[in-house]
Amino acid sequence: MAQTINTEVTRTDARRKVTGTATYAADETPSGMLHGALVCSAIAVGQVTAIDTSAAESEPGVVAVFTHETLPDYKTVKGFYAGGPGSSSFWPMEGTDIRYAGQPVAYVVAETAAAARRGADLVNVTYQEADGSIHMDPEDSFVVGAGEDSEGMVLTKGDLQAGLDEAAQTVDMTFTTPFQHHNPMEMFSATAEWRGDRLTVWMPSQSVRTLRHGIAGAYGLPETSVRVISPFVGGAFGSKAGITPYAMLTIAAAKGVGAPVRLIVTRPQMYTVATFRPESRQQFRLGADAQGRLTAFEHVEIAQTPQFGEIVNPGTHITRAMYACPNIHTEQRLARSDTNSGGFMRAPNEMQTFFGLESAMDELAWKLGMDPVELRRVNDTMTHPTEDVPFSSRSLMESYDAVSNSFGWDQRGREIGSMTDGDWLVGYGCATATYPTNILASNARVRAQGTGNAYVELAAHDVGTGTYTIMAQIAAARLGLPVEAVDVVMGEADLPVAPISGGSTTAASAGSAVHDACVKIAQQLATQISGMSEGPLSGVDPSRITLDDGTLRGPDGQSQSVMEALQMIPEGEIEVVGTFRHPALTDQLIKATFSGGYGTAGPVTPEFAMFAFGAEMVEVRIHKYTHEIRVPRIHSAFAAGTWLNRKTAHSQLMGGMIWGISSALHEVTETDKPRSRFLNANIAEYLVPVNADIREVRVEMLEEQDDYVNPLGVKGIGEIGIVGTAAAIGNAIYHATGKRLTALPMTISDVLST
Amino acid sequence: MKRFAYSRPTSVSDASDDAAEDGTQIIAGGTTMVDLMKIGVLEPEALVDITGLRDLERYEVGADRMRFGALAKMSTVADDPAVIDAFPALSDSLWKAASPQLRNVATLGGNILQRTRCPYFRDTAYAQCNKRNPGSGCAALDGGETGMHAIFGGSDACVAMYPGDFAQALVAFDAEVTTRGPGGTRSIPFADLHVLPGDDPHIETVLEPGEIVTEIALPMIPAMRNSFYMKARNRESYAFAAASAAVGIEMDGDTVRDVRIALGGVAATPWRATAAEESLKGGPLTEETAREAGRIAFQDAEPLEGSAYKIELGADVVAGALMTAKSRMGGE
Ligand SMILES: Cc1cc2nc3c(=O)[nH]c(=O)nc-3n(C[C@H](O)[C@H](O)[C@H](O)COP(=O)(O)OP(=O)(O)OC[C@H]3O[C@@H](n4cnc5c(N)ncnc54)[C@H](O)[C@@H]3O)c2cc1C
Ligand code: SF4
Repeated sequence: MAQTINTEVTRTDARRKVTGTATYAADETPSGMLHGALVCSAIAVGQVTAIDTSAAESEPGVVAVFTHETLPDYKTVKGFYAGGPGSSSFWPMEGTDIRYAGQPVAYVVAETAAAARRGADLVNVTYQEADGSIHMDPEDSFVVGAGEDSEGMVLTKGDLQAGLDEAAQTVDMTFTTPFQHHNPMEMFSATAEWRGDRLTVWMPSQSVRTLRHGIAGAYGLPETSVRVISPFVGGAFGSKAGITPYAMLTIAAAKGVGAPVRLIVTRPQMYTVATFRPESRQQFRLGADAQGRLTAFEHVEIAQTPQFGEIVNPGTHITRAMYACPNIHTEQRLARSDTNSGGFMRAPNEMQTFFGLESAMDELAWKLGMDPVELRRVNDTMTHPTEDVPFSSRSLMESYDAVSNSFGWDQRGREIGSMTDGDWLVGYGCATATYPTNILASNARVRAQGTGNAYVELAAHDVGTGTYTIMAQIAAARLGLPVEAVDVVMGEADLPVAPISGGSTTAASAGSAVHDACVKIAQQLATQISGMSEGPLSGVDPSRITLDDGTLRGPDGQSQSVMEALQMIPEGEIEVVGTFRHPALTDQLIKATFSGGYGTAGPVTPEFAMFAFGAEMVEVRIHKYTHEIRVPRIHSAFAAGTWLNRKTAHSQLMGGMIWGISSALHEVTETDKPRSRFLNANIAEYLVPVNADIREVRVEMLEEQDDYVNPLGVKGIGEIGIVGTAAAIGNAIYHATGKRLTALPMTISDVLST
Repeated sequence: MKRFAYSRPTSVSDASDDAAEDGTQIIAGGTTMVDLMKIGVLEPEALVDITGLRDLERYEVGADRMRFGALAKMSTVADDPAVIDAFPALSDSLWKAASPQLRNVATLGGNILQRTRCPYFRDTAYAQCNKRNPGSGCAALDGGETGMHAIFGGSDACVAMYPGDFAQALVAFDAEVTTRGPGGTRSIPFADLHVLPGDDPHIETVLEPGEIVTEIALPMIPAMRNSFYMKARNRESYAFAAASAAVGIEMDGDTVRDVRIALGGVAATPWRATAAEESLKGGPLTEETAREAGRIAFQDAEPLEGSAYKIELGADVVAGALMTAKSRMGGE
């Protein structure tokens, strides 16, 4: 049997995707379906005073134009950060309030998508405009909750000032990161069909169960009356997690017109009708003794939040886990401005904060005259600095050593500006990456058949990462089947409970439930075949029969393959529901997950702190005349427990690093300050790297065993790739030019005069 | 998108007659036109598709003139070895523009007439834009973002930047366009085709209704052979210029006999830097004189808050383009 785990397996859905036969939510066209279009607010703050729908209504093909006054039976849900399933806690079209630019103000339904959009253009909205500001004022920030609270929004350990006073070197630096948007390739869409009191929603989603629970709750329907279907997702990155107003508007519109309605949100509208990465400010004060040991560590994060909710992605919880230090102070602060709700976008707590932390560490290394890698080594720790529990595993320095070797770190010039190549200045930089191992309860149903195949069913999602493939691999490995013999069904709320695809949890949590199901199948099988009169395991004590990847083994060397054993039993197959309930999952957390929420345990449990670690190194070139900043090489090494699929994992890590280059050098949602709008809401002007920007990308995947995190020993890898990249690039720019850049993205105008 | 009528005539005279009708616009490759129609910036009542005028796809590199039919594709011309050999800056300026998909459909005639990327022009949610809606004001100048706006040639009514690359190679080397309108045929020096925004930024060229650009021609001059187009941009391809320069040099020993410099990404129209050219003529071309030429090219710039960086950047790009052109002269 070929190895199926910790090996390279091509995606099982690759052919379907490249041939266009994989169906996405918006490919579904229920019969009689009409098309929706949103009309979005032209002002940021104020009131709708009148909406003239007459021109739109007389446009050929237009069936209905709904406003806050005419949309029947429109329901809303509580926002995620207020404990609900919603993408926002403010719901447009409930009244006349305008709270952000591009907020939906009317909804047009028509016979064709083109007619719907034409109708939308013809809706004439009159506003009364009030002053607003799209940017936060960091000087006007606050801590959520009551300060020194149980959530750790403010944390003090030791005496920060004493630590700064005794330091041989200190740094005091402030960094800023901009608004960013996910821009998944697949547009946002929602298709709703009512049949009496039964509702079906097709929608690309990172959490079909959150959607069903929230929608059913809002309409007072039993969950069995609501189907939510999302077979494939063309990228989400956090943008397709919650219940959005555009989804609820579509559901209400479908009810209003008495026919199924599909809405495809336009690309510019995608910048305002869902979440984004809030802008942030990262303040660091670090102190170290002459050997580089940290004596003081302070991180204050101020993140943007809307006027009507508190979006807390606690980055300080992650930075303070990084390095040993006796004196630590962290504060998680928010400042308001006039936008829709931000949310999570790939590494929501880590990307911004590690740009700051790892740039500040680099600055400290230069001040100390130390190799930045050695500075990390001196401060590496096997105990969480503020929680006093050991890391379940931590291979940070193994990662640095591996990447140093592959990159050739020792080849770097020791002075600033000491490396050139023709018209290019060259610099090397490095940075640490980490990502917490979050744990969620999950179930999975597996049916193994003696005919040599198996079915895996669970309400997980493949957001483009390869989940279909790894779920098949896990079952294949345990049951002794080729990967192709396992059919995986996901992306429907009716399937066994699986967690939201967020926080890099699916492989670890849902995968562990698949694993458990296979173990249970083996146990049942052992009981049945040990009681049979014939067969190699006949008469053996079933509690002493173990599953060894496809084979049932007795205590005295007897064995039989799972498939042969299945053929012996009368049913020829066994179906069970496997579960994953980590000891750190409290009843409350399990309950949260099972009722459509996000009941995550970790990264810190009473016993261990669980994180994946890695290190990145980049070569940066800056052109003497054009001042263009390019990254010809980026190398990394990561350790994240067991690798399930080395091919898809590699893609995740590499994709994260490439997105890190984007964050570092290209990506920013620009703003128009006087009118409080996002300015470059399209992918011609919102720059992300093109192929030509991405040159040598190398990823080393280190072996690491962690028996605590889950039975598979898997840590999440979906997000860690992006975490260290921006700082590594900034640090390389410093090495090349002596300029310390503190704002993302770092562009031509920042490195002039070099 | 609004409904519109569509025709695809096969003779230039029919095309120009059709295009002269009120509310009618010309479409060639459509990469500017369809884009702006989709986002509601342009709402023509009728489109005259000129891609049926197959004769206008021809081009030739002759001994004393290069002629390009207005419908020659960007990619075809950029790729042609004769063009690359005779006038590298022209090929570079096309290669470094847009993306392969766009270059495969976009035409040279459409390219020179592409519209500004000013974000306020491109988003109808902004009430103010004199170019899109004459007399409505200018959102950019009313406290808006001006990082990608013109530092040459702007007015109180509009500071939009002309975004194209190819036009810089044309303006530096005395190109001419031939047009056919309802009133007949005429030729226009390329430098006179675009007009400054002044009080009427919605008027961008001297073309009359129905006037079709049929040909773009350039006299062959020695500086073409040693020419280069340098483009500074925040990603390696598929981005408009933060600043660019089309340059060409003709040396007589160590002395500059002829030099051409045009500036992209910085001006309201294609922009020739005559004073910088003059500073070099009759002297040596060194890193120092090249940098001095760059400084002179930008001495009269009028930056806005967000675009001041373009002065230093633009000067460096001029110097870099000159030095690169020189280094490529090799054994000649
Ligand atoms: C995402 C994106 C990125 C781009 N990046 C760049 C870049 O980096 N550099 C760059 O230089 N360009 C860039 N472009 C612009 C692109 O080069 C132009 O859109 C293209 O060259 C226009 O050619 P077309 O044939 O498609 O013109 P069309 O869209 O058909 O027409 C453009 C305009 O010219 C008029 N017109 C066309 N042909 C004639 C004619 N023969 N006579 C009279 N009027 C005519 C039309 O009425 C219209 O107003 C980019 C475009 C896009 C969409
Ligand atoms: S600069 Fe010109 S194009 Fe831009 S908003 Fe002002 S008037 Fe419109």
